[in-house]
Amino acid sequence: MKKFLLCCLFFAGLFWALSNYQGLAVNGKYDSMVLNFRDSLSPAQVDRELKAIASKYGIEPKFNSAFSKGDNLYIVKGDAQVLEQFKQSEELRNLTEYVEANYVYSMEFLDSTTPNDPRYNEQWNLKAIEVEKAWQKTKGKGIVVAVIDTGVSRVEDLKNTNFVKGYDFVNDREDASDDNGHGTHVAGTIAQSTNNNFGVAGVAYEASIMPLKVLSGSGGGTISDIAEAIIFAADNGANVINMSLGGGGESKLMQEAIDYAYKKGVVIVAAAGNSNRNAAFYPARYPKVIAVSATSATGEKAPYSNYGAGVDVAAPGGAIARGKDGDSAGGILQNTIDPSTKQSVFRAFQGTSMASPHVAGVVALIEASGVKDPEKVFQILKQSSRKVSDDTLNYYGAGHLNAAAAVNIASQGQLGIPDFLKWARDNGYLSPRFWVDGGAVALIPKLIMVIGSYLLAILLNRWFPFRWNWAFSNGVFFGGAGLFFLRGFYVFDITQLPFRIAGSSLAELGNAFSNTNALNPITASVLLPLGLLLILLGHPQWKWFAIGSAIGTSACLATSAVLAPQMMWIGEGSPAIAFLSVNSLLCFGFAYLSIKSETATI
Amino acid sequence: MNIQIVGTVEYVDIGTGAWAIAADSDQQYEILQPAPSELLQDGLKVSVTATIRDDVMSMAMLGDIIEVIDFQVL
Repeated sequence: MKKFLLCCLFFAGLFWALSNYQGLAVNGKYDSMVLNFRDSLSPAQVDRELKAIASKYGIEPKFNSAFSKGDNLYIVKGDAQVLEQFKQSEELRNLTEYVEANYVYSMEFLDSTTPNDPRYNEQWNLKAIEVEKAWQKTKGKGIVVAVIDTGVSRVEDLKNTNFVKGYDFVNDREDASDDNGHGTHVAGTIAQSTNNNFGVAGVAYEASIMPLKVLSGSGGGTISDIAEAIIFAADNGANVINMSLGGGGESKLMQEAIDYAYKKGVVIVAAAGNSNRNAAFYPARYPKVIAVSATSATGEKAPYSNYGAGVDVAAPGGAIARGKDGDSAGGILQNTIDPSTKQSVFRAFQGTSMASPHVAGVVALIEASGVKDPEKVFQILKQSSRKVSDDTLNYYGAGHLNAAAAVNIASQGQLGIPDFLKWARDNGYLSPRFWVDGGAVALIPKLIMVIGSYLLAILLNRWFPFRWNWAFSNGVFFGGAGLFFLRGFYVFDITQLPFRIAGSSLAELGNAFSNTNALNPITASVLLPLGLLLILLGHPQWKWFAIGSAIGTSACLATSAVLAPQMMWIGEGSPAIAFLSVNSLLCFGFAYLSIKSETATI
Repeated sequence: MNIQIVGTVEYVDIGTGAWAIAADSDQQYEILQPAPSELLQDGLKVSVTATIRDDVMSMAMLGDIIEVIDFQVL
């Protein structure tokens, strides 16, 4: 008894939840509605009606466009409340073809990787390298980028960024904080905390930063410190090194450090230099280092940027027009520190120093996509960069940095679980709504059938106690409703037929093939259960399936008679109701008789 | 190795900012910091005695880095 009550409560709850379930169909956003007056109305009639609406609701219907006149299509501003009133109005219902919400369709509905950082729209540099498309595949998780610079301070917009242990070679200590602002800015381009509703974004925001301070507060540093930092990075698990620094002198010490790191699989990226010379500075100039020249927002080489010998690729470095006070729109905007106050500030800088970390970030994305070998990474950068034709002076190297293309190439042939999940999500399979929505399954009648059939079964059990067994339960279930939720199953590419058949009760088998809701009088009748009874009554277990199916079918037909009396060939209305009711009674009758005879012999 | 440079001091808005001497010979030299504040004035015409430091690198990358030993305002 308690179980029964609990069951009832469960179904009651389910009912309530389902009847409140709105589904996708009513989830649209709108602030206006469509009034499609009947085409048969004369302009005068429409006009009168419009005036009435205007005076009654205080709103003014307008033609949707120049093409609406022929169709008498009007748009009226209003919300859900007004829409309800309109829909209730008898007069309007008579005069219009329909009144409905004027849903707004937008691009935002589509899956978007645009981050919510408020100043993201100032970052022309990120758009220039198409990083958003790259983010659909990876954000650099698990890759360590060493920033060999003036140090990195954990400013506000680096709070969510991962840091690994670094070192301060200038002051010989572990705390590698910034006292200039340069290093923090560079680290920001690589991995600024993104999608944190604050500040700006970074290229590989799920990568980790290893801060290595080799430059003093005034921006200069010794080659020995720099070389040691390179070795430290290689020895402590860095995947990428960014050096936004340089000088004119070739150095054996630095060459050796670079060779060491390269052999350990570290990709080294460096800025080409800012003296508009036709050769990159060192260390960028070294063959094992990726030298980066700088471009402005227009895509042209920045006026200050080095070019020519040794330049491998071009990336946004910014170009801020001189003399324009406070106008740094052409620069690269990141969060850094003000060296004099040590406060967290947002600054836009220009320089090949700013271009280099874009490449370092993209390298992190490439590595996170599965390609870690420095030579291969180099190849991918060359392949993916947007070539510039007629670049005789080698302003741009292999071309403009393109994160999307680079990640695409890097992840080719490397499909993993994330890709499968993404495919499933893109095609709708992961959304529960997708499976159950569209009103594809009239859930409430189905539940009534299930409950109804069990109630009938319990009833009969009371009158003629029998042992409730598995075959019986199955019979009741398949007779009453079948695996009805399968009817809502839509797997895009395959035929839905198998699901419809599996999801049909006995009575519905007839219309499972034709995929209409109208019941087939041959299957939706006493015939199938009767047939089953006659065939199976001899079998000790299976007869219970037959009896159960008779009960289930009885409930199913009865419910259909009340809620949805639609039949093939017979149509709707009284004949259908009569047919269903009679057959339902017959089913019940046969079940009754069968159980009576079964239990009488026990 | 000391060299003599005649040119104009300028503040260059690269990165976090740096000081350079735009030599009359059209070359640009980056002034190694710290340097005397009297020298660091945008537009100052100077004659400078300096050493080229090729054991040093910088974030500004403006050109050869010079350590100023002595200077004269012109």
